Order: sequence, then C-alpha cells, then structure tokens
Amino acid sequence: MIAARDLVKTFSMPAGPVHALRGVSLDIAVGEYLAIRGPSGCGKSTLLHILGCVDAPTSGALAFDGRLVQSLPDADRSALRLRGIGFVFQRFFLLPMLTAAENIDLPQAEAGIGREARRRRTAELLDYIGLSHRADHRPSQLSGGEAQRVAVARALANRPRLLLADEPTGELDRTTGEQIATLLDRVQRDGTALVVVTHDPAIAERAERTLMMRDGQITGEEERKVREGRG
Amino acid sequence: MNVTGRALVFAGRNLLRQPGRASVGILGIAAVGALLLDMLLLSRGLVVSFRDLLDSVGFDVRVLASDAAPMGGPRLPDAPIAVQQLAALPEVDEAMMVRFVDASVDETAAHKFVHFSMTAVDLGRRRPWTVKGGQDLDSAAGAAILLNPRLAEALHAKPADVVSIRVACVTERAALPPVTFRVSGIAEFPFDDATWLGGAASSDTVMRACGGGVVPADMILVASRESFGAEAAAAAIRRVRPDLHPVTNEEIVTRMQQQGFTYFRQISAVLSTITMLFGFLLITVLLTVSVNQRLGEIAALRALGFSRRRVAADVFWQSALLVGVGGVLALPLGFVLALWLDRILKAMPQIPATLHFFVFEPRALVWQAILLVVTAVLAALYPIRLVVTLPIAATLRNEVIG
Amino acid sequence: MFHRRPLVVLISAATCAVVLSLRAAAADSIPSVLVSRQLFTSEKLSIGDVVTLSANRAGADPRQFRVAGSYKPLPDPMRLGAVRHEVRMHLPDLINMTADPRDPMSSETVDAINIAITKDTKGGNTTKGKDTKSSDTDARTAETFAQDLATRLPGLIVRPTAVGADRAAPFIVLERFHLAIAIVTVIASSIFLLALMLMLVDERRSTVGILRLIGYRRSRILIYVFVEGLIIAAAGAAIGIVIAAAFQGGVNQFFQWRYDTALVFVRITPAIALRSISMAVPLGVLAAVASSWTLLRRDVFALTRR
Repeated sequence: MIAARDLVKTFSMPAGPVHALRGVSLDIAVGEYLAIRGPSGCGKSTLLHILGCVDAPTSGALAFDGRLVQSLPDADRSALRLRGIGFVFQRFFLLPMLTAAENIDLPQAEAGIGREARRRRTAELLDYIGLSHRADHRPSQLSGGEAQRVAVARALANRPRLLLADEPTGELDRTTGEQIATLLDRVQRDGTALVVVTHDPAIAERAERTLMMRDGQITGEEERKVREGRG
Repeated sequence: MNVTGRALVFAGRNLLRQPGRASVGILGIAAVGALLLDMLLLSRGLVVSFRDLLDSVGFDVRVLASDAAPMGGPRLPDAPIAVQQLAALPEVDEAMMVRFVDASVDETAAHKFVHFSMTAVDLGRRRPWTVKGGQDLDSAAGAAILLNPRLAEALHAKPADVVSIRVACVTERAALPPVTFRVSGIAEFPFDDATWLGGAASSDTVMRACGGGVVPADMILVASRESFGAEAAAAAIRRVRPDLHPVTNEEIVTRMQQQGFTYFRQISAVLSTITMLFGFLLITVLLTVSVNQRLGEIAALRALGFSRRRVAADVFWQSALLVGVGGVLALPLGFVLALWLDRILKAMPQIPATLHFFVFEPRALVWQAILLVVTAVLAALYPIRLVVTLPIAATLRNEVIG
Repeated sequence: MFHRRPLVVLISAATCAVVLSLRAAAADSIPSVLVSRQLFTSEKLSIGDVVTLSANRAGADPRQFRVAGSYKPLPDPMRLGAVRHEVRMHLPDLINMTADPRDPMSSETVDAINIAITKDTKGGNTTKGKDTKSSDTDARTAETFAQDLATRLPGLIVRPTAVGADRAAPFIVLERFHLAIAIVTVIASSIFLLALMLMLVDERRSTVGILRLIGYRRSRILIYVFVEGLIIAAAGAAIGIVIAAAFQGGVNQFFQWRYDTALVFVRITPAIALRSISMAVPLGVLAAVASSWTLLRRDVFALTRR
C-alpha cells in the first residue's frame, strides 16, 4: 500500500541543518500494524508526517497505492488525507466548540457525504468507541481518554485505509492508555492499516512489526508472532 | 451543503467561541460603518438637496447680467424688454423678473427697526414660494406683501394686518416715505435660512413704493417647456440675447459643487478613508489573533484533509460575518447619526432651512456595501495567508513541545 | 572759447533729464492698484507692470492701472474653493471706472460705508485698561450707534458687524460638527481598544490562573493591570500626539496648496494635546481593567484548564 524509498528530511536552522531523516526506506502492507520506536529526536514523528502526506521529504520517494505523492498538487494530497488516511494526535485536537458527534461528523461533511449517511456513520462510530451516551458533550466535558477515543473515531470517519497515530497515549495515564491501545487493536483487526509512533510499550508490543529508529535511520526491525484470527 | 455553506457555518461557530471578542468586533464595525454611511450621504447630500431646492422653485434657468453668482453681480437694466423677448421663445414656458430690495419697518414707539429683504416678482403662473397661511399675492389686490414666518413674528403681524414699510430702492438717493402694505399671507421661501427675515410683493407694488421709478432686475427666472428642456432654453436665450448669461439649475449645482461644497466633499473623502482603514485594522487584528491562537487546531484540520481553500474560506467567512453583521447594525446607527449631524450643520448661517447636508440615496447604501465588502476581503488577506502557508508538520510539532 | 565735446555731453545729459522727467510725469498719471497674490501669480505680474482693467465683461472702456504691489486676501473658509482674483484700488478710481455717465449722481454713490467707532466717544469717559469685557462694550456701543444713525437718517441700513452670541457663526457650527465626528471616532477607537485588550487578556489566561493558584489576590493582579494599562495608554497617547504634530505640517501644506489659501486647517495646541491625553489615558486604563476583570472573576481552575 505504501512504499517509501530513501526518504531524507533536512531542516534548515539558524544554528545549522538538522538531518531528521537520513535515507529511510520501508513498505507498509494493507492492514498491517506497524510501530515505530526510538529516542526523542530520532525522526519518528517526522517519518509519520511524511507518510501521512502532511510534510514533504527533502529527497526520496513516497508512493501511496503506486501513486507518487510528491507529484500530487496540494488539493490532491488534502483529498488523500481526507479519504485515505486518518490521523490521531497526541493532543487530540478536537474542536472545542463542537460536540463529540459533531467532531466525528466534520470530516464526513468535508468529504461531501450526505446528511443521513453521516448521521448513521457517526452513531456507528460512537457506538464503536463506547461513547454513544456522550455524543452531545463538548471536549471540555470529556476526560482525556474519552477525548482521545473521539479523536480515533474522527480519524476513522471516512473509512481510511491507513490510520497514523502520533503518541496517542502520550497525554494519558497508564490505564487509559491501555484502553486506547485496545481500541487501536480493534481498528487494525477490522482491516485498517495502522502505524503508531510511540514510547509506550503497551502499544508497541501489540504491533506486528516494530521499527527501531535512531539518528534519522532505521536501526532495527522486530517482527512479532502473528496474532490469532489473521492469516 | 457546499463548501461555502460549510465554511460559513464553521466560521459562525468559530466566532461564537469568543462571543465577547466577536461582539466587540461587530460593534466596532457598526460604529465605523455608521460614520462611513454618513460620509457617503454627505458627499452628495448637499448636491442632491440643493438641486431639489432649485427645482422646487419651478424654474430651471436663471438669466443674469454676468457670470457672477445670482445677487453677486450687476443687475439687468433692460429686464422688462428681455422678459418679453425670452417669453416669446418657443423653448420657454414662462419668464419672470426678480428684484431684491432692502426694506425696513420703523417701529418708532420702541425705537426698533426691523430690516428685511423683499423680493419683487411679476405675478405669473409659478410662484417661488409656498403659502402657509392667509392668501397668495393677487395683482388686483393692491399693495400687499407676503411675510415669511420669522418676519411675521418679528413684526407681530398676521394676514390682513397693515404694515408700514420703507423700501430702499437703488435709483433713489433720498429716503423715501414708508408705504402701507396689507399682509396678504405667510409664506415659506425656499432659500430662506433659519433666521432670515424676508417678504415678497409684486413688482408693480415695489416700483410704486420706489416712487414709480424703474428698478433694475437682479435676474430673470425662466421655466423651459418640457419638450425642450433647460439646456435648449438656455441655448435659445444665448442666441437671442448673447449679452445675457443664462445658467441652468444643473450648471449652478456644478458650480456650487466645485466651490461652495468642496469642504464637505473633502471631509467626506477623508473620513470615509479613515473609517475603512479603521475597520480594516480592527478585523485584521481580530482575525490574526484568532488564527494565531488556533494554529494547532488549524494544522490538525489540514492533517485531517481540510484543503487550503477550505481553511482560507473559514477565515474569509469569519471576516464577512463580522463585517456583514456590523454593517447591518450600522444602518440604523448611521441614520440616527446623520440626523444629528444634519441638525448641527443646518445651523450654519445663510443655509436655506430646507437644505439638507445628509440626504438618503440608495446609491449610498450600495457604495457602503461595496466598501465594506472590500474591507472584509482586504482584512482577511493576511490571516488567510497565515493559514494557507501554515507548515502543518512543524505546527503540530510545536504544539506538542509547547 | 568752448570745447565742443564737453558742450555735447552737457546737452545730452540735459535732454536725458528732460525725457526722464517727462516719463516720470506720465507714469505718475497712471493710478495704482493692489493685486491679490493669486491673480499676481496666475497672470505672472510684476510690481510696476501696467495692466488694463474694465468693469465691462466685453472689455469696453478699459482703464490703465499700475501694479503697485500684491496683497494676501483675508483667508475665508466660506470661500474655500473660490479663486481669489481680486484687485484693490482707490475709491475715486473705482467710481471713475464704474459710474454711469448718464447718471450724474452715480459718481456720488457708494455701496457701503464702514465705520470704526472710537472707544471714548461718550463724554470723554475713557474705558482704557479697565474694561474686562471690552468686546461686549464695543458691541453694545455699535448697536446703539447703529440705532441712533438709522433714526437720524431714515432709509439708511445701518448694521453692526459684530456677530451676536446667539447667532451661530460658520466657525462655531463647523467646530460642533468636528466635535460630533470626534465623539464618534473616540467611541469607535474605544471599541477597538477594548477588542485589543480582550485579546491581550485572553493570551494571559494561564499566567493569571497560575498567579491565582499561587495565592495572588484579585485586587493585586488588578493593580498590576492598572499600572500596565496606565503606562501603555500614556505612551500611546504621547506617541499619537507626536504623530499628529508631525502630520500637521504636511496636512496644512497639502490643503493650502490644493486650495491656494493661507488658511490653517490643522493646529495642535497644548489645550488640544491635553484634552487628547485626558481622554485617551482613562479610556485605556478602563479598557485594561474592564477586560481583566472579565478574566479575574472566573474560577481559578477555569483559567488553568486547557
């Protein structure tokens, strides 16, 4: 599904260039669960942003379903993110003036889905994350874990084939983090490819494959035994 | 719902997040919008009002002895002959001589003199005044005078009263004895200001009061025939009498626009510019601060798939809503403000009481709408630039670090 | 015996002297006029030029006059857009030029006579140096004189030139108009100021929340806000006055050029500066305190929660 070759990302800073990625190559298959780990500043979030078409590499190639992403205009990349990729952020980034249901509805409306279809999908997702009873609550009225679950539901609103999560449990306590990890498991089991950048071992040990990064390069790779229920 | 509709709803929700800020922005636009509307009314108000005033007299051409302003130049010595010649023209419907003389009423008991201006006209079909009480002048009724309300009050006179008036005629060198006039009625004269003491009588009556001598006319009022119009009448007058200076109402208005009204046009232009600049600054600052406070949120929306056009539309519609709602509120505020400012300016001496500085015209509303739209668009440009050039990844990173 | 050369020089000098004196006599016979600055400039005149004037539009019966100098017409705001092409001449010259030869009395007629009343006209009583309302006294004296003259000479129209206090002169009306505009702009500026303060205060929400958590009282934080608002408002007012004073010259130059007038359109006086500061500073402080109070009255945890 995703093929990345020799990705390099260099940031020009007043104190000198910062080489965030130094030639990273990887492939992500359909439905795969990939974790990316490494010390702070190793380039894992930068890699995630490039995979999510939020940032462009300084050099290298990224293809999504065989299409070269760099050659796409910004509008097409936005459309790809809207319909093909879902994002979950460490800080949730829910819109504070919208309710939980409205936050989930937002990307669907942007994708041009009709009102009735959106209503059904939103109800389905609220049920999926176990927050149907909090549909009309604003983010300020939700706990951290609940807000992150709503954020996951929002990321899944347009049925993306790839979900990218950047430290999804970074601002949560251990118990709540476990809940999010379980939810992400379920998302991946239901067919969505999942790439998670994390420090959290609870998340990493659930991934089928874990990439280790250091100084902008992939230094190692671990594969976990395939879980039950998947061939 | 299309992109515009979604962006509009989203923009409204964003504004409601900060109701205090949004309210202040709308009030600010309402205040400057009111002033902008008034300056647009002022820019043409005097012209429109003055044109209406000239037209209300019923005559559309004024014939003078020179190109000086009426009553500011030499008199017409052979006006009776000129009137006959002009009235005979096919383009002219009516011609009337007008003379302005000074007059006084001696109230010797109180040692108080009341000086006033008397207008002497030939009594034709058209009368350059409006009778408010009593009766209009009648050529068969003898020495009669119409008084304006201020003069009637000063003389404590009412219709049918008798007043002794001394007329100061140009050709006389000695003081003339006063002549008894009967007050025919009370009338409003269109060019009287709020303090002007004035009256009108027939030319015959005034000439008799001047001892029967000829009193040169100050001007000849001409009404053109509808099928020809003022321009044609003026051209015909120039052909027949090249020594005379006919000037149409439109030409008088143009002259006043270039000279007498120039201050108000200047102040209108200056204040219109300042109010637009003010509105622009207010909205730009509000939106820029709002965007800067929401950078992470905007970056997240971009990461979720919102296009540049979409986030720009959100900012644009916020600007449009602030300016639009403020602009609508500005209308009643502007009207009330215009009434107040008009009352202040009408107190100026020698300004006809029926003249207005602020005159409502639909085009002023149209211009206000256009200028406010321009303001909204320009004010949104910088914050739009911020959101469309927002580096998504860097912003998300900074939000986490921050 | 006379030498020839010295005799020729002597005759030439005498001839020149005669010619010059004849010329001087001719020059003296041309009456002089003063020309307005605008006319002087537009017609590119010089002092000493001989011009031809006529009271008739067609130019009939022209007369020659010598330009003795130019004068600045009194700037008149009511004639702002008018082109001041004027000439001043001696009254006999004007009468000579405009009198109707068919009317023997026309050379004895003027339009008006201006009268200046001496201050000690009443029985030798002087009011020098003691009358603190001399303008009122002058107005009353003029009014009395006008009544008296009109009584003695019926048919004359005698009017004092002083404007009564109850009559609205153009300047007073314009001043009121400008004041009204100023009030509206001050209101709009205050709203703008409030908007800025609200945004400024909102950005400090977490700071204020932390201070409150530490134990700072509301009143103490308000004092800080008051002092900060005072400094900002005072500095802003002072900068505003400096900018206005800097622009004043440019505005006056532009409009004086535009209307070819000596009128002064903008003048920043100490009184105006003081009035501006006395309005701006309290407004600024009030906006800062009012917008801060909207924050301070909230619950502490509402301020610190993200």
